Amino acid sequence: MNHQPMSLDQVMLVISLSTYVVGALLLILYFFSHDEWQRNLAVPVVIVGCLCQFGQLVARYELTGVWPLLNLYGSLSLFSAMSVAIFIVFAFRYKLWFAGGFVIAIAAMFLAYGLTWNEGTLPAVPSLQSYWAKIHVPLVVSSYASFMVAFVMSALYLVKYYFERNLGLTEVGLQPAAAGAGADGGLSSVAYVQDSPVRRDTPNIASAAAAGNTVALWLKTLPSLAQLDVLVYRIIAVGLPLLTIGIITGAWWAKEAWGAYWQWDPKETAALFSWIVYAIYMHLHTRSAFRGVRSAWVSVFGFLSIIFCYLGVNIWISGLHSYKM
Amino acid sequence: MEARSSSLNLYNDFIRTFSNVLFAVCLFIAWGILTLIGVIVDQGKDPSVYFSSYAAPLARLILRLGFDNIYHSVAYVGIIALILVSLAVCTFKRVIPARLPALRPVKIEKIPLNASVTVRGDEVSVRQRIEHFFITRGWQIRKREFGGEEWTFADRHNWARRGVLVAHVGFVIIAAGTTIYWARGFSGDAAVLTGQTVTIPHTDTAITLHDFTYKIEPIATKSGIVYQPIDYVSHVTVSGKDSKAREETIRVNHPVDVDGTLFYQASYGFGMRFVVSKDGKSVPALSNRILKEGEVITLPETARQIQYSQFVGTIDRQTGMPSADPRTNNPGVVLNAFDAGQPSGATLAPLGKRVDLGSGYALVPQKYVMYSGLQYRYDPGIPLVGIGAFILLAGLCISFYLLPARLYVKVEECKDGACTVGVAASTVKGYDIFEQQFDALVAEFRGAQAT
Ligand code: HEM
Repeated sequence: MNHQPMSLDQVMLVISLSTYVVGALLLILYFFSHDEWQRNLAVPVVIVGCLCQFGQLVARYELTGVWPLLNLYGSLSLFSAMSVAIFIVFAFRYKLWFAGGFVIAIAAMFLAYGLTWNEGTLPAVPSLQSYWAKIHVPLVVSSYASFMVAFVMSALYLVKYYFERNLGLTEVGLQPAAAGAGADGGLSSVAYVQDSPVRRDTPNIASAAAAGNTVALWLKTLPSLAQLDVLVYRIIAVGLPLLTIGIITGAWWAKEAWGAYWQWDPKETAALFSWIVYAIYMHLHTRSAFRGVRSAWVSVFGFLSIIFCYLGVNIWISGLHSYKM
Repeated sequence: MEARSSSLNLYNDFIRTFSNVLFAVCLFIAWGILTLIGVIVDQGKDPSVYFSSYAAPLARLILRLGFDNIYHSVAYVGIIALILVSLAVCTFKRVIPARLPALRPVKIEKIPLNASVTVRGDEVSVRQRIEHFFITRGWQIRKREFGGEEWTFADRHNWARRGVLVAHVGFVIIAAGTTIYWARGFSGDAAVLTGQTVTIPHTDTAITLHDFTYKIEPIATKSGIVYQPIDYVSHVTVSGKDSKAREETIRVNHPVDVDGTLFYQASYGFGMRFVVSKDGKSVPALSNRILKEGEVITLPETARQIQYSQFVGTIDRQTGMPSADPRTNNPGVVLNAFDAGQPSGATLAPLGKRVDLGSGYALVPQKYVMYSGLQYRYDPGIPLVGIGAFILLAGLCISFYLLPARLYVKVEECKDGACTVGVAASTVKGYDIFEQQFDALVAEFRGAQAT
């Protein structure tokens, strides 16, 4: 058999993919068992994988002279690298390692899927030969990455919420303190002095865990629903400005390449759609009654809209972004 | 009188509806749905395209509802207008009162983030120490008396309460910028044949195309050869209002500015000179034109039309069929024939080959001439849109990354050389988001007062 030696970028890619798989498995084990050593081992493994992946993107640029952003392979690769990087930052800041297994596993899947789009090295088509590519693409892809992390946190929120609800007959709703504050005549005039209806405690899960229910034992170790809701908000608060700058830089670039900053091209409008969904999220989140389960669903839907914008439009719908003269 | 009260009711209903964030969310949902329809349904195509892509009833529905040009439909523009109205009403009725609340007393124990701290000292010194503690940590202190009781209010990032307003103003400015384009801007396309000059309507700009060049490279990929476009370049002479001619190069990503109107490289094509003959004699009236793809020659005294449908760069010499290579190695043209408007045949003819058209007519595709497709646009709203986008972004960042919080501090009771101090906190984003910081702050406060 004829074995060609692997190039540096391929070696780094193999290392990142393997470390992601190992890191994801360790962190998923950690989610279920809460054995500290699994997390302690996974964290450096994942960091090495992430550094290798950025190294791979740079090596590929050095080898080919083309920024590895301009096709689906390059951008999916950047997406997975940014997802892991953003997650690492959030995990250190807000102690999110419990969700790491899911985030890293999704990042690894996107990377593996991206590999199937690797067509080798192609020079950029004229419209993509612009410095804007190096600004716009990483910004947009980073926003997608943030939304992916938010999606995982929202999914965990929903699992915990519905498990709590199904365990007991009591509705997961207002806390007694909230009702008191809102009802006070003197306070009601201060519009924002009302509590969030998002639960801080999940008594059904707590008692099921005490009775030995395995799933309850796992879910009990997650942050409270209220904290998960705040985490989702914080991550979307990173993603939405990134998406906004991404759309603005895209519009600027479009003005240079195609003459108009906004052409109603399917990719632009799909990004606008996602932007609208996350604007809805932000507005619903200003209302305490809509925090929690409803906004978590909007976040899940938002990420589906991102997948549609990212992959659906590229693959199924042609437009200026699949530039043909 | 009754008419006045009913119009007052109407006004109140309008204000109530438009100042409701949930109504704004409904408008956003409608905006989102219309936007999504435009992503899925091809925009601005010929009606026949919809009938060939969708079942007839669906195609009819798309056309009837104007989904083929949704972004310029009344519904789309109307939704954005409603969002702007809602934004304006909301700003005055909700955002300002909610985000910039007056200093008022509260029932400390009813606010979820509350604590009671014992501070040693008499009332005056306790108040001084409270003030000192918060000021040194960057909180802005204000004191007010309500019903003889003194309250201390400590605010953090108070100015950032206006972040939402900034974001909303940004959106309004963007909308204003796009409206200016509708009112005063224009755009269009011009296809300029090599050697020819076109004058652009709306402006006095004349553009002469000296030559158009393109570069396409065959690249071996895993799934075969891909012919990748590398460059498109138009060398032109332009003259604007001052009538001074100047040489310019227009290429993708490098437009040319003539008196504020930008000219972009948008497309290109192959014009074709056909020599048409009847009974062996050239027909000059039909042969002197250069046709672009899609144009037709009508044969006199017949019901026949010949359409120059498509240019083929390379005809495969073995199969005689068009090859994937778009470069001009062995060029030819695809011709369609129509009899009384009905398609009656098609052929692929290499350059220089005579094609018999019937009724004594024949045609030879003789020579191709490249043309450059330029797009031009004058948009005086761009600076405003840019400023609006920047303001919107700044507003988002202020709203998301700065958390204005207010502490309500009250010295409840002083006896035996110590005072009980009640502290409560609220933020513009509820309590959960501030819970940990509040706990840390209270712990620090307790620690500081213990000594
Ligand atoms: C597309 C345009 C809009 C953008 C970009 C936008 C942006 C924002 C942002 C970033 C926030 C702060 C969210 C937070 O801090 O959690 C906000 C809050 C808010 N927005 Fe908008 N918004 C838009 C349209 C509207 C409209 C049409 C309304 C009309 C009802 C509205 C009403 C509000 C209100 C009432 C708040 C919360 C204020 C509060 O309770 O403190 N917004 N908006």
